Amino acid sequence: MNPGNASQNKLSPATAGYVMAATVAVLFNTVLAWIKDSSPALNNFMKSLTGHHWTTHGLADLILFLVLGMVFSKSGMAEKMDSGRLITALIAATAVAALGLGLWFAFV
Amino acid sequence: MNITASDLILLAHAGFGVTGCLAALWVIVETLNASSSNAARIRSAALLTAVCIAAAWIFGGYWYVHFYAPEKALILKGPWPFAHDIFMETKEHLFFITGILAFLLPIATRDALHSNAVARRLVLAVASLIVVTGLVVEGAGAVIGHGVKIALLRGGAQGGTK
Repeated sequence: MNPGNASQNKLSPATAGYVMAATVAVLFNTVLAWIKDSSPALNNFMKSLTGHHWTTHGLADLILFLVLGMVFSKSGMAEKMDSGRLITALIAATAVAALGLGLWFAFV
Repeated sequence: MNITASDLILLAHAGFGVTGCLAALWVIVETLNASSSNAARIRSAALLTAVCIAAAWIFGGYWYVHFYAPEKALILKGPWPFAHDIFMETKEHLFFITGILAFLLPIATRDALHSNAVARRLVLAVASLIVVTGLVVEGAGAVIGHGVKIALLRGGAQGGTK
């Protein structure tokens, strides 16, 4: 259990860090999908790393989420931000990233 | 009966995915009634969500990389090419978002939810996003499967020329 924040109505440093990391990672995921779809060279490079571009894409997302989560948690950067805004940013990022994928593949 | 490894892997992918969505729904219900007595249950449900979505990721990824190519070719020659061009392309990338959220959920449930309204709000938001994006991914899977089916049916009805 993350100690120390139960009565403060604030996210713990670890949770806040990983929320910020998830916000960045979901946006990164969509941007990488756009760039990969427009650039056969990047698609082929990603394929050369693991045998399939999709596998590389997923690993990149996961590594980014975990590394940024550790960095943001330990640096205390996310903890300084308003917890409510962090949550709103995650919801907004997820909505924008999901719609961005759907609209891209439907119209571009 | 002839059930192949491809069939089992695909069904495991969909089964784990929908179980992960149901586990996230369980997290929502428990969190709406958060108290010190159900804290362990909330964390267990969050962990179950992450494990199920991870399993759906592994099974689905293996199937996509090793078995999808012939079905993709069928879809693209059939009457519903958008089942791949829009639905599979969106699904295969949207799933990563569901996965990231599913891995965040067990971390978010480590805070004391019964006494921390912001932590509760986070868990409710993350679990709800998992349910919504997970169901969109499940629905896209159904469209992709239907794209294969009608390519085969209409191709067969036209003498297999499709």
